[in-house]
Parts: sequence; structure tokens; C-alpha cells
Amino acid sequence: MSKKNIRNFCIIAHIDHGKSTLADRLMERTGQVSERDMEAQLLDSMDIEKERGITIKLTPVRMFYKAKDGVEYEFNLIDTPGHVDFTYEVSRSLAACEGAILIVDATQGVEAQTLANVYLALENNLEILPVINKIDLASARPDDAKNEVEEVIGLDASYAPLISAKEGTNIDEVLEDIVKYFPAPEGDENAPLKALIFDSYYDNYKGVILFVRIKDGAVKAGDKIKTFRSDKVYEVVETGVFSPNLSPKPILSAGDVGYIAASIKSIQDVAVGDTVLRSDDPNPQPLPGYKKVQSVVFCGIYPLDGSKFNDLKDAILKLQLNDASLLFEPDSSVALGFGFRCGFLGLLHMEIIQERIEREFGLDIITTAPSVSYKVVKTNGEEIFVDNPSHLPPVSEIEHMEEPIVKADIYSPPDYLGQIMDLCREKRGVFLQMTYMDKSRVRLEYRLPLNEIIFDFFDAVKSRTRGYASFDYELVGYERSKLVKLDILLNGEVCDALSMIVHEDSAYTRGRTLCENLKDAIPRQLFEVPVQAAIGGKIIARETVKAVRKDVLAKCYGGDITRKKKLLEKQKEGKKRMRQIGNVEVPSEVFMQILKTNKDK
Amino acid sequence: MGGIYVHIPFCKSKCTYCDFTSFPDKLCFAEGYMACVYREMAMRKEGLKNHTFESLYIGGGTPSVIDEKYIAMLVAAARKNFNLTPDAEITIEMNPGTVSAGKIDTYLRCGINRFSVGLQTANDAQLRDLGRIHTIKDFLACAKLLKGQNFSADVMIGLKNQTISDIERTIEVAASAGASHISMYALTPEDGTPIYTQYLNGELPDSDEVADMYAAGVKKLKSLGFERYEVSNFCKNGRFSRHNLNYWRRGDYIGFGVAASSCIDNVRLTNTFDLDEYFKCILSSHFAVIDRQEIDKAGREEEFIMLALRTEAGLNLKNFKSQFGCDFPEKYCKAIEKTREYIEVNDNFVKIKEQYLFVQNGIIVEFLRTDEG
Repeated sequence: MSKKNIRNFCIIAHIDHGKSTLADRLMERTGQVSERDMEAQLLDSMDIEKERGITIKLTPVRMFYKAKDGVEYEFNLIDTPGHVDFTYEVSRSLAACEGAILIVDATQGVEAQTLANVYLALENNLEILPVINKIDLASARPDDAKNEVEEVIGLDASYAPLISAKEGTNIDEVLEDIVKYFPAPEGDENAPLKALIFDSYYDNYKGVILFVRIKDGAVKAGDKIKTFRSDKVYEVVETGVFSPNLSPKPILSAGDVGYIAASIKSIQDVAVGDTVLRSDDPNPQPLPGYKKVQSVVFCGIYPLDGSKFNDLKDAILKLQLNDASLLFEPDSSVALGFGFRCGFLGLLHMEIIQERIEREFGLDIITTAPSVSYKVVKTNGEEIFVDNPSHLPPVSEIEHMEEPIVKADIYSPPDYLGQIMDLCREKRGVFLQMTYMDKSRVRLEYRLPLNEIIFDFFDAVKSRTRGYASFDYELVGYERSKLVKLDILLNGEVCDALSMIVHEDSAYTRGRTLCENLKDAIPRQLFEVPVQAAIGGKIIARETVKAVRKDVLAKCYGGDITRKKKLLEKQKEGKKRMRQIGNVEVPSEVFMQILKTNKDK
Repeated sequence: MGGIYVHIPFCKSKCTYCDFTSFPDKLCFAEGYMACVYREMAMRKEGLKNHTFESLYIGGGTPSVIDEKYIAMLVAAARKNFNLTPDAEITIEMNPGTVSAGKIDTYLRCGINRFSVGLQTANDAQLRDLGRIHTIKDFLACAKLLKGQNFSADVMIGLKNQTISDIERTIEVAASAGASHISMYALTPEDGTPIYTQYLNGELPDSDEVADMYAAGVKKLKSLGFERYEVSNFCKNGRFSRHNLNYWRRGDYIGFGVAASSCIDNVRLTNTFDLDEYFKCILSSHFAVIDRQEIDKAGREEEFIMLALRTEAGLNLKNFKSQFGCDFPEKYCKAIEKTREYIEVNDNFVKIKEQYLFVQNGIIVEFLRTDEG
């Protein structure tokens, strides 16, 4: 296939606007999958993706399309996630493309995440093709949506196809526009190899599989390759494309999107964003990589069974290969033993990683409450960043602390302005401005402390606006703030895994609710367990888990012995899911109870 | 040491808490059933020649509901087929609503020397609520007939609307009627019984209230001269239930009838729970066993511990060593360390401290294996 007949593109959109459905439709029209094999959301292959109906991972797929001009084109589509947490995943797919289809929901118009993704695409010099989706719905207002695209984003939407991905309406128009508007890839087949790694994962048989976009040159089995950042040389075993399953292709050349398997065993040696080169490249030059990931939310992950630390390490390494935005370092806790401190792009990202560790690697884990990264200015003038409350220096050494601040854009119908403003006020938000985009949509801008939104802000926005509002944020810097470390004492001993950093004004309420939640979550023990919240040694709240008073099998005679023993064994199993903190047995879920601080009220 | 158990699966009507195998509408099969039980005994005879039994326990159901001649024949069959010691303890369970002077006379003449009477509570409204077919008056009449005999009364705690003074009164009634043994059980709402609905609807006392009831009951019993020898069992003048002590010492036992269990030489057998199936098997000279389990050494050890720690005396270290060939305190030093505050250890025994008997599960599980898959 000549390079001029290749189109590399991705689909960007706000969550729920129909990316995966359009991808399905494109694959179906190009005969990539028969209608018979078609299962909804084909590219969402992970169980979690199917269950939650969201895309988490980018997924590439190759298609062939015979255009109306009679020429056959090769399309490489990369499906991308829409949730705000997965922007990094999107930015990587964009770097492998020349064009982006921007889907706008005809019933909802331009949303926060739409804008965020458009800016990303523009930064990457992509050609953008707006498409108005869901025109089959009764509430569709395609003209308003077009106007919003023009006014808010500044793109010419006059030629935007009006489609229904669900019904399959006007899909051909999209296919033709892809050929017409997206440029063919550039690059020199005869130049030395230069390929961008935009994703990777670990295959038990083939080792690390690199997902690449070939920018210059070509690669085939037998070639000796290396990456720019590492000196290790590998021999290519297989090259191929995504159909969407891996299917071998003898050679990949400039413009192609495909994969390389080169028996790479060590996960640490290849990083997403790195450049693949020929091992004998005399003048190695890297391709521009991606924005380095910045973790926003941090939490500790520990194996439930302390002896499974190495299994957990292995799991996290393998996940990181597949999800470069996951950062981690070894950590240890008095209460929980050895584990990892992990950085995530957001709460959803954190939740997904936790779930993937449990499902894909069959490990039971304990996670601690999420935290953000605080700047601590010490009395000796030293500045440090602390994302783990138990690493905070003693109060006497702290001159002051600063917390990360975000600028949040909230898009909502005007009816819910009051609720949103109340919520932002509760979360220590500072109002910046309000813009009416049209008569049915308002953009609110707020400055908010990041630690106030990592807990349940997204859910709260959704629930207070019956799902109509959307929300996006960007970090704008650090601000001095009155922060304190809130400790939890179980039976008089500080449990480091439950400590958190909170704003002074909310410390009392937090401590109070936390003690109440913990009181309900910690099972009654043989002795009374005081649950206390403290700031700098001063107790601010206390609850008591009463001692258990009845825990006995009333009868046990000849016919009961087997059954009663099973009951006791079950009780023992339950104990295995607990961690011993001092002499208190604490169920693993307790460490996430902190999250519920506001939700349950 | 060993015990024989016979299950009589008939009753007049089902109590609301009962999840035992008992059929209120099948009394007409009693004669045939008993014939099968005698036959099952004869079938087991050969294999148990070298065993000696020191107790026979006739339970149910309501054994007193069937014609007393079958009971007499049953005791005779047990004596004929097995080495039942001459001074063996022979117990029959009775419902106060099903007794008569004639019945008790027959029981005594055939060798029965211990009676277990279901009183449950000395509150007629609560008895009705439990679906019991008798009143307090019936119990008193029954006790009168048992005057001078070794008899036990069952008492339940944790009933709907039950108060601590109800429990104290029930114990007083049983004691003054002459009971030398009292079993005090906390109601266990089992799924599938009518009482489970009460439990689900929060109509039953919660676990703290039951704990208070238990404590008050223990206090009352002690004041009347009853000593506790197992978490739910109390007696005067050393009149323990030998049959039940045998279970807690993990002795051998052989069970006959539908739903009965046996444990002989570390093989546990369970008979079918289905009456028809039981008839079919026995009439065709097959055992009616539906489950056979060989208990390995580790399993035996766990059972031994779990059962022994139910008793007031606790676990006998010498017995443990002779059965398992190792020192208990040495092998279980970690669990002992962890539960140190709740147990008493001396040269002869390891026992759960009195005040922790009612929360024993959490202590016992520390002695169970952890390395199970």
C-alpha cells in the first residue's frame, strides 16, 4: 500500500458521546468484522470496559476502504478513552495520527472534555473533522451543536456529517471525509528507522509487544533494533498490524501503524513515548515524545497477604507497561507492611488500576485513602513534596504548607447553577467567572483545591445536576493553605495507613465522620476498641467499638460437629481478610472508608 | 468409651425454630421405622464387636410421641446387639405434652435412667409463639411423674419478647420441679424455619441482649447450685450428661435412624435425611449412609480442640498428648500467646476463661489451621 493511500486517525469525544459505537460502525462498513461477529463496543475488550461502558485503553485497528474514487485506502484507527482521567492515553494516540474525528453529541453539544481533547489534537497539529452524532434522538439539536462547535471551538462545522452511529446513518459520508480531509502520512521509507512507541503490553509468549507508528524507514523480522533511551539491542521476531487482533505483516514501513515483537523480556527497558531505532543508527535522534505524565492522585497499594509482595510488584510492573501513566515506588507502612505508593491521573484511573490488579492478577489488595501532592516548606528553607501523610515532617519543622490548586470548568444547563455553586463553596472553591455559551449551557470557572475534588467531586457534580453537568480541570499551581495532619488511633495507637492531610477548617468534621464510619466498619473484637481522631496529639473525636458479647455456637453434638467446624473455618477465613493493627483486627475495606467521608452523610 | 444415638424423626407438630429432621405427619410409619432401626443395629453389630458403649441416647423429633413398646424394644435391641455396659446412661427426650404415667413406667422398666424434658420457657405465651404443644402446667405434671429421677430440662434464651426475669423464672420452675440438669440454649434462627422471619424482621433480641440473658441465666443457675460443665449445660451433684460429654471428648459414637451420624475410628458417617430412602436402604440390607468422611490427623486435632474448649474443664493436656503425640502448649504456642488474655493455662488443662465462654468462637479459631488453600 502506497503511503498516500494511508490515513491514520483517532476519534476524540467527551465520554458517552459515542466513540466506540462509531468505531464499531466504521469497522463493520469496511468489512473488518462481519455483522454476525459484531458485538457491541468491539474495541472495549477488557471486562471492566464492557461492564462500565467506558473506554479505558486506546485500541488500534486497521481497516481497508474502497473510496468512491475507486482507490482502496488503508485506515488505521485508534479508539481512545473519553474520561478526564485518561487524557494521557489520548495524547499518546494523537501522536501516532494525522487526523482526529471529533464527535459532538447532538443532544449535549460541546462538553468540557471535548474541548480538552480538541486542544490536545491541535497541539499535535492534527486535522480535525467534526461529526455530529446521535441525530436519531428526539432531543437532538444538530444545528445548535454545529453552532457550538463553531463558536466555542472555532472550527468550521458547516461540512460536518450529521450521523447516528447507533443506527448507522451517514457513516459512508464519514468514510469519504476521512479520505478527503485527513492528510496521508509523511515520512521517508528509505531513511533510517524511526518509530514512536505509543503503547505496549506484556504477552506471556512473545514478551513485550510494542505498539508503534513508523515515522521513517521500515522494520521487519530479523532487524536489530534498540530504543533511544536504552542501549539494549533486540532482534525483531514479528511485525504486524491490528485487525483488531494482532495479525502478522512481513514489513512495516513509514506511515504504518502496527506492532513489533522482539522477545523483550524486561519490562523496564521499554517506555511508552520512546523511539525505536535501528541498532546501528549512526546518528540516533528521538521523535518528540509526549508530555510527561503528572500524577494527580496518590495512594498506597499493599497486598492483603503480606507474603504476596513480589506478586504485587510483578503485577504493577506489567500494568505499567500497558498503562504508562501509572507511576509507583516501593513504600512501607507500620500498619500494612511492604507495598507501593502509586500515582494516578485521577480517581477513576486509580479505581480502574485497583480493579485490574485484583482481576487480571488475582491478587487481593488493600488500598489507602487517596491523597494529592503537597508542597512543604520547612523551617530550614528546604522545599519538599509530600503525597504520603505519614512522610510529613514533624510540625516543628514545617514553616508552612501549600496545596495544589486547579482551575475547574463546569458546563451545565443554567437550572443547576445554584447547586453547583453550593457544592463549590463547600469544597473551598473560589468563583472566577461565568459564561453563557448559549441559552441552555453555562460555563462556570472555579479555582478549587485539588484535595477537595479528588474524593467525590465528580460524583457530586453529576448527582446534583442529574447527570447534565460535565467537569474538567487543570492544575494551575500551589497555594499556601492551613493544612493539618489528621491521625486515626485504634486502641490508642496511631494507624499510619489511615492518616490524612486535611484543611484545618474541615479537620473536626472529617475526624468526626471518619470515627463514625470506622466504628461501623471495624467488627467487634474481644475487647473494647476506642477509635480516635487526633491532630498533633490532640484528640478531636472519639467513638468506641464495643467488645463482642456473643460469639458462640449454642449446640454442638455428634451430628453437628462437621457443620460447626465449617462455620468456624469460615470465620477463620474472614479473619484472613483482615489486617492486624496493634491488637485490633481491621478488615481491608476499612482503609477505603475514608473516602466515604462525605458521601454517606 | 463410646455412645449410641438413635434418632426418632416424629413429632406432633413442628416447633417454629426447629430445623431437625422430624415429620409431624408421618407417625403412622413409626412401627415400620422402628423395625428398620432394629435391623440397622443388627447390620452394624458385626463391625462393632470390639467396642464398648457407655450411653444410649434416644433423641428426635419427639421420641415420647411413639408407642412406648417400641422404645422398650429399642433398648433391648441395643443391649442385644452391642456391648452396652450394665450401668450405661440411657436417656430419652420427651415433650411434656406427650407423656403419661404408663409411658414413664415402661421407660423405667426397660432400663431408661435419664430423661431430657423440653421446657424451653415458663411463659405460656412464648411457648405458643414457639409452636410448642405443651403449657407450663404440662411440664409440672411431667416433672411430678419423674419425681426422684435423673432428669434434665431444656431452657431457651433469646426468644421474642423474653425478659431476664422470664429466664430466671424458667430456671426456678425447672429447678424446683426437680431437674438435676439444665441445658440453656440461645435460640439460633435457622434459614427456612418460621422463626427466621422474626429474626429478619428484628423481632428477636439482639446479640447483646442475648449475652445479658445468658449472664443472668448463668448467675441464677449457680445460685441454685448448678455448675456449668459446657457452655450451654449445667448440672447438680455431678449429674453430667455422659452421652454428651463423650462428644466433647471426641469419643466414638454410633447413630441409628434417619439423619443420624456416627464417628467410629475416625470415620464419620451420615445417614440419609429422607425417610423413604432410609426405608429402601435398610429393607434391602444396605446402609443408609449418604456421606462418609475420613478425618485425618490434623482434622481430628482441630475437632478435639474445638470440642474441648466448649467445656468448662477445657482441654486435657495429657489426653491431647496421648492422642496426638505432641505437647499442646508447644505446638500451639503462637495461638496461646495471641489468646493469652482469654484463656487459662496450667500443667493439666488449657481452658477458656469463664467470662469468655460465650465469645469462644473468636478464641477457638486462633487454634485452627491457617494454611488451608
